[in-house]
Amino acid sequence: MRKWKLFNVIMFAMLGMITNNLMAQTVPIGGTVLSDDSIPLAGVTVRVSGTSRATATDNKGHFTISANEGAILEFSFIGFTPQKIKAAAGMEVHLAKGESGQMTDVVVTAMGIKKERKALGYSVSDLSASELMKNKNTNVVNSLAGKVPGVNITQSSGSAGAGASITIRGGNSTSDSRQNQPLFVIDGVIYDNSTSVTGNSGTDGLTRSNTSYSNRIMDVNPEDIESLSVLKGAAAAALYGSRAADGVVIITTKKGAEGTVKVNVNSKVSTSWANKLPEAQTEFGNGLYSSNGVFNSTTPTPGATVPVFNSWGQKITSADTVYDNIGSFFQHGRVYDNNVNVSGGSKTGSFYLSASNFDQTGIVPNTDYDKTTFRFNGEQRYGRLTLNANVAYSIANTTRTLTTAGLYGGGGNGVMGAVYSFPQVFNMKNYMNPDGTQSRKFAGILPLENDIDNPYWIIHKDNLTSQTKRFTGGINGSFKIASWWDVIGRVGYDQYNTNDYTYIAPGSAVIPLYQNGRLSKDFLGYTYITTTVMTNFHKTFGDFDTHLMLGTTSENTETPYQNLWGYNFITGSTISFSNIATTNQFLRDGTTKKRLVGAYGEVGISYKDLVYITATGRNDWSSTLPLDNRSYFYPSVSGSFVFTELLPHNTLLSFGKLRGSWAQVGKDANPYATLTYVNPPISIGSFTGIGNQYTAGNPLLKPEIQNSWEVGGELRFLNGRIGVDYTYYHSQTHNQIAQPRLSNASGYILNSINSGSVTNKGMEIAITGKAISRKDFGWDATLNFSYNRGRLGSFLPGVAYFYPTDAQFGPIKAASIPNGGYFLGMTGTRFLRQADAKGNEIPNAPYQVDPTTGLYKLNTNNPILGNREPSFIAGFNNTFRYKKFLLSFLIDFRKGGDVFNGTEQVLVTNGLSKRTTLNDRQSVTVTGVNSSTGAAFTQTYNANQTYAINGANFDGKYMIQQYWQNYAANAPNFITSVNWVKLRSLALTYDFTSMLGSQKVIKGISATAIGSNLFTWTNYKGMDPEVSAAGGTGGSGSTGIDYLGVPAVASFTFGINVTF
Amino acid sequence: MKNSKYIILGCLLILGSTSCKKWLDVNTDPSNPTSSTALVQNRLPWLQHFYSYTAGVTNFRTACQAGVYYSNSASGNAFSTTWIANTGNLTSYQTWFVEVASNLNDMYTTAQAKGAYSYMATADVFSAMGYMEMLDLYGEMPYTQATTSGIPSPAYDNGKTIYNGCMAKLNEAISLFGKTQGPAAPALSAGDMWNNGDVNKWIKLCYGLKARYMLKLSKKSDLFNTDSILYCLSKGPQSIADNVVQPGYNNSTVTDYLETDPVVTNGNFDYAGYGSNQRISQYYYNLLTNMRGAGVTDPRMTKIVPSYMTNIKLDGSGKVASSTWTRSIGTDQYGPSTRLVKGGATSIAAATYATANTNLVYTIADATELANFVAAQTTSGRTFTVNGNKVTVTYPAGSIYINSTNYLYAGDTTYVNLRSSAIATSGIPAQGQTDVSWYPSAAAFNAGAVASTGSFQIRPVSDEEILTYHEMNFIKAEVYMRKGDVANAYTAYLAGIQAHLDMMQAKLTSWKGAGYTATNPDMAPMDQSAITAYMSSNAVCQGAGALTMTDIMLQKYVAMGCSVENFNDMRRFNFSVGNVGGFGVVYPGYNRSPLFGGSALYTGASQTDPRYWPRRWALPTTLEINYNLTNALAINPHAADPNIWSMPVWWDCATDAEYNGYLSK
Repeated sequence: MRKWKLFNVIMFAMLGMITNNLMAQTVPIGGTVLSDDSIPLAGVTVRVSGTSRATATDNKGHFTISANEGAILEFSFIGFTPQKIKAAAGMEVHLAKGESGQMTDVVVTAMGIKKERKALGYSVSDLSASELMKNKNTNVVNSLAGKVPGVNITQSSGSAGAGASITIRGGNSTSDSRQNQPLFVIDGVIYDNSTSVTGNSGTDGLTRSNTSYSNRIMDVNPEDIESLSVLKGAAAAALYGSRAADGVVIITTKKGAEGTVKVNVNSKVSTSWANKLPEAQTEFGNGLYSSNGVFNSTTPTPGATVPVFNSWGQKITSADTVYDNIGSFFQHGRVYDNNVNVSGGSKTGSFYLSASNFDQTGIVPNTDYDKTTFRFNGEQRYGRLTLNANVAYSIANTTRTLTTAGLYGGGGNGVMGAVYSFPQVFNMKNYMNPDGTQSRKFAGILPLENDIDNPYWIIHKDNLTSQTKRFTGGINGSFKIASWWDVIGRVGYDQYNTNDYTYIAPGSAVIPLYQNGRLSKDFLGYTYITTTVMTNFHKTFGDFDTHLMLGTTSENTETPYQNLWGYNFITGSTISFSNIATTNQFLRDGTTKKRLVGAYGEVGISYKDLVYITATGRNDWSSTLPLDNRSYFYPSVSGSFVFTELLPHNTLLSFGKLRGSWAQVGKDANPYATLTYVNPPISIGSFTGIGNQYTAGNPLLKPEIQNSWEVGGELRFLNGRIGVDYTYYHSQTHNQIAQPRLSNASGYILNSINSGSVTNKGMEIAITGKAISRKDFGWDATLNFSYNRGRLGSFLPGVAYFYPTDAQFGPIKAASIPNGGYFLGMTGTRFLRQADAKGNEIPNAPYQVDPTTGLYKLNTNNPILGNREPSFIAGFNNTFRYKKFLLSFLIDFRKGGDVFNGTEQVLVTNGLSKRTTLNDRQSVTVTGVNSSTGAAFTQTYNANQTYAINGANFDGKYMIQQYWQNYAANAPNFITSVNWVKLRSLALTYDFTSMLGSQKVIKGISATAIGSNLFTWTNYKGMDPEVSAAGGTGGSGSTGIDYLGVPAVASFTFGINVTF
Repeated sequence: MKNSKYIILGCLLILGSTSCKKWLDVNTDPSNPTSSTALVQNRLPWLQHFYSYTAGVTNFRTACQAGVYYSNSASGNAFSTTWIANTGNLTSYQTWFVEVASNLNDMYTTAQAKGAYSYMATADVFSAMGYMEMLDLYGEMPYTQATTSGIPSPAYDNGKTIYNGCMAKLNEAISLFGKTQGPAAPALSAGDMWNNGDVNKWIKLCYGLKARYMLKLSKKSDLFNTDSILYCLSKGPQSIADNVVQPGYNNSTVTDYLETDPVVTNGNFDYAGYGSNQRISQYYYNLLTNMRGAGVTDPRMTKIVPSYMTNIKLDGSGKVASSTWTRSIGTDQYGPSTRLVKGGATSIAAATYATANTNLVYTIADATELANFVAAQTTSGRTFTVNGNKVTVTYPAGSIYINSTNYLYAGDTTYVNLRSSAIATSGIPAQGQTDVSWYPSAAAFNAGAVASTGSFQIRPVSDEEILTYHEMNFIKAEVYMRKGDVANAYTAYLAGIQAHLDMMQAKLTSWKGAGYTATNPDMAPMDQSAITAYMSSNAVCQGAGALTMTDIMLQKYVAMGCSVENFNDMRRFNFSVGNVGGFGVVYPGYNRSPLFGGSALYTGASQTDPRYWPRRWALPTTLEINYNLTNALAINPHAADPNIWSMPVWWDCATDAEYNGYLSK
């Protein structure tokens, strides 16, 4: 009863306030802002005088803002004289260039609050729709590459539907299960961007390296995006709570503008191709020499499948046919991309409706990605109450292929590993017999489970698909109680279902259990519901301007999963569970739940336009932490000082600001990490067995805490024609929550721990300039530059390195190195150099040769081999305007950062690398010092001789093979510190609108030609150096590891855009 | 209409500000029981299965090292032939720690809370058995800190600490088995697949294990105590009824969560009998056919060495109308190894089934080889034509043959692989639960053409021997021999052979009863007269005075077969060096192969150098060295060296000083 009473009191009080304030009427005012030479100005800040209500113009110069009739609107833009004009519907405002003045620039900050840029104590980068669309990529993450300092994008592969990862200012967490990627917020609602492996390796065999996965931000139609802000540091993001330690990307979608209904249609078609393929030698056929010199190319060595598929064979003669198995495998990909949107609005409401279809065929035959999206955004105003609703629906379908590995526990192999190892004397295209069974070179003698599946067999017979249907929606209500007080309520909903289908055809080279076919279906659901209530107070006292914001939020995430799998189809042609005996069908399901409640506030004060100080605080209560540690508070403080306000007015330095901030962010654990669970029961005879899972829970977890600070400044010269923005930042994450792979002697493969710290520091510089700005010709350029230095601090005692599980390939492993070592390190095996008296290696000394093997001795203690983090990255973004032509290009640079060419390493191992044709395979020479005596050692192995080594005889041809295996074990032979200059995009647009004459139907028409990744100048010898072998791997990830991936693509796109 | 919107807004406010403690209590996975709620009577079958599984992989791989098997799988061949071992050392480690050891503390404490002393005792027994096996293999590893909550990266212990710890666990187990369980405790029989809840059998197991472990100390003059061993033996298994085994089944295709092997089959089978890569070594074969040079075939030979069908004639419906069972020969890898030297270390080829008459054309350049090959075809009665150096041979439909045009491999059908089939592994859905013979293809199965009958210890339905009465007798024989009491040694020696024959006969009889012999004559009981003849033949020492340590150890070798104990025994006797006690060469003929390539691993230059031989396994790189390197190097700076494979473990050293010498930098 009492509770009800309280509720009623609140409700009445609220209703009272609402009705009391319905008097003053605000209406939406729309208009256009042009420069004095009538060029539309994008990004002009439009603000209702005396309020904090502000907006920015779009790329056509249009704006819509709610204001009381007769209110004064303030227009301001860098490099232009600000103006104040009385609001009127359909107003056209001309801004004059030149004099400095009050340069207001509005950016979207945490919780969707728009703030003047000069008030910010931290760095925020924002991109407009036109900037994103210059090189449109269906994965909006990819469109950010090279455009925002401090942001690093890694594409996982060139296959259709493959995802990309984004890290801002370096990774903060070493663990596989923590993705180090920023939070995405779309129209105020957190939007999931995980790259999920549905099911698990234990049931359906899928792991990160055996196929490609999409990151879920791909469900967004990039054409719907109006603007995008990147909040890089913790201070900027602190209000978002737990997940904001890795930064936040805020996306605002398009809204309708007041006026007539507008229809925009654009269509694009593009073609793509592998921009570089590995090269294979064509001089030697398949086969292998054994230690006594016996050559074998026709009979597979049972048990060891490798020899016959190796290319250590005899010289290819003119009688042999050589097949270009690698070159002929890939095809041209193509994309049809169609978008339509309708928007419009009245004085009290607006709407935006869009639909799109993106239909892509991959460069690997029989792979594709198809995405259809719908969106409705509407806004309606009732006096002081404004209601917004955003709804989006998308369906994404991917047909993918096994790439480098077969299904875990199922045997078999992937497509790319086989393509890059198939002997050139075998015709790979010959994959099927007339009776429909797999054509196998060594059928009968090599048991099927030991054979290698032909890549064409895999792409034609197996079937791996993934479908995600996603619905997101948000309702926002904001109510202006008084001119100084408003309340905002928001409900957000993000829901998707991913259904994966994995079918291995009967007759595939997998373990016998699955040789009659295997099918698994995986379902992964994701439902996220959030409610937010915020209230803002804003008051001015003389020269002091103050604001206070209080808010609370709750988040509820549920992830149901289900896996059905089975094997052995009774009737071969029917692929279904009904065609599998019930004893061979298996089921798993469950739900993961996570809940979080946050309360937060922000208080700010500013003096004139000179000094701004803001402090925030947030307390979270997370379900994922133990009861005693579940509540945690973290504050931030930031400030800015516009020192040019104190200087005499001058045109040289037109604006100058210093800023600084300090922030703390807490981060919770993954669900269910506090307890250890047991496996599903097993039945043996009449007994039932139960035992622990291989992941240990930890009931003592504490929240992970990140402390960070940044300082920076902004300077604008020559009335804003040149701008410089500089930031230096430092962050340290303590008590890392991780679930790393550690010693099995702990009893577990993965252990939940709280340990270690990660430090990131770096700087970001952005220089913007309007080099030329004439009526018919303009040149705008932006140069951005950034570097990050990520280091792992202390870690568990006794642990030498920290490895993410899915990023270990050949002789190297992605590793974070404790006690100040590289966060993006790389360790592995390499040749041992001569040692000093204490047994320590001498740098650059000769290699040790092991007299017992006659080959170089290896350092097997996993020495550190490199740092995958670039020394710096930079982007140079240019736009030229000449009459109706618009030419833009983006060049991106990278200096340093080690890349491991694992594909070449595999080619060396299997004898396909051109390196292995050295001396026509007639001799190799080993030079160094004898590892037991220290004496100089030189030995040449000739193909036609026999060598006695440590009491046994070895044939010379065998020793040459062994030399190359030894060579392949020395990882530095394949590691390059990579520099590149990439022409990431080149786009030419022509606007035909003026040619349309005075007809009223078509309002605008333009055509665009875009080339992507057309040129790469690099010292890297392998495929594209921008690689990541196991996409979506958390922790230090797999960036910088080029291992049997689908090659990156270059593309050419032509598009037409029509507005009605 | 308007009002309802405000009400919604108001409700949202209320909802948003709700931070109910209960609402947040969702961090226990509703789909899975936790480690503290699982029942002890479910833990024990899990431990028994997965311990057997980890022991199975250990048995197989160490049996390859001991020369019982020839294998051409990558790691199996490295252990059996080339000794270039750089893999194969992973599964035992992972399955022990992750599948078994991680459950011990939970099992012990849950049992303790219920007064379930017997279950507590079984946790001790598994701890002792598992860590002792790890010590046998790896020498040093985390022990006192292993599987301890809050220590994700445990420090290492040396072999002596682990050894003493295991013995202490067995002592505690014996005392716990002696206590009556509390009223709330579940009956031991509810979870005991091994002994059906018989506590006395468990106590015998504990004493038997103590005897086995005390025998390991035979190189240590200060610690080796023959009387203590004899005392333990007196309290250990007294007949084959006291044998402890994990039964294997063939009634499910369910595979385990970690290694994806069938959960009901015998652990030895999962490694030794699952694929087509294993064959009987000539070393083992010779002991079964020519023990003591007597030229007498062991009655157990046909049960251990597989056979296959030759001269198959198909009837009109494509079924086998007639055929001959042909016994495998052994693969020579320590002698001249002619076949392997010609073709390469892993070159023994797998057999195929001919669905139709098949012609293969062999090109043989060497005239002598050509003549020999032609002669062999004539002997076998096959149709063939010779054209210059090309020989075309016809394999009639129904043949089990080698589908290769390389003449070197044509005779490899005589090396019958040790493969058996289970419903979870055959890939032939129609093959029922009581047919565990191996057919190379579904067509071969439909015809009824058997390509291997398998081997006694490694079929899916074999018992996996945990501790047996015959082993106890062989230990007793060795101990008495070392004491110089030849008469008692001789009695135990005979009892050991007899106990093994009895155990086999009992199992073979049960297989016959279950119907396995319908397609597989090698699963039928032995002929009693052959047993009697064998026991009185020269293959068995016929008088205490003639008994040698070699006689005892080779009979033990035959009986243990697929077991880590042969590798342990061979290390104690320094393989075939003959420098232990006055016993001479105990394992004659065992040596590095002519195909030896492991010179970086076994760096001793002569047989008398301990580091000439395989002495342990390297710690698994991807499970332990990569993640716990600092701790591993702290106990043994050579832990990651390639030649760690030849470093003796603690009990393989005569003194602590010798052991510590190896561990010093």
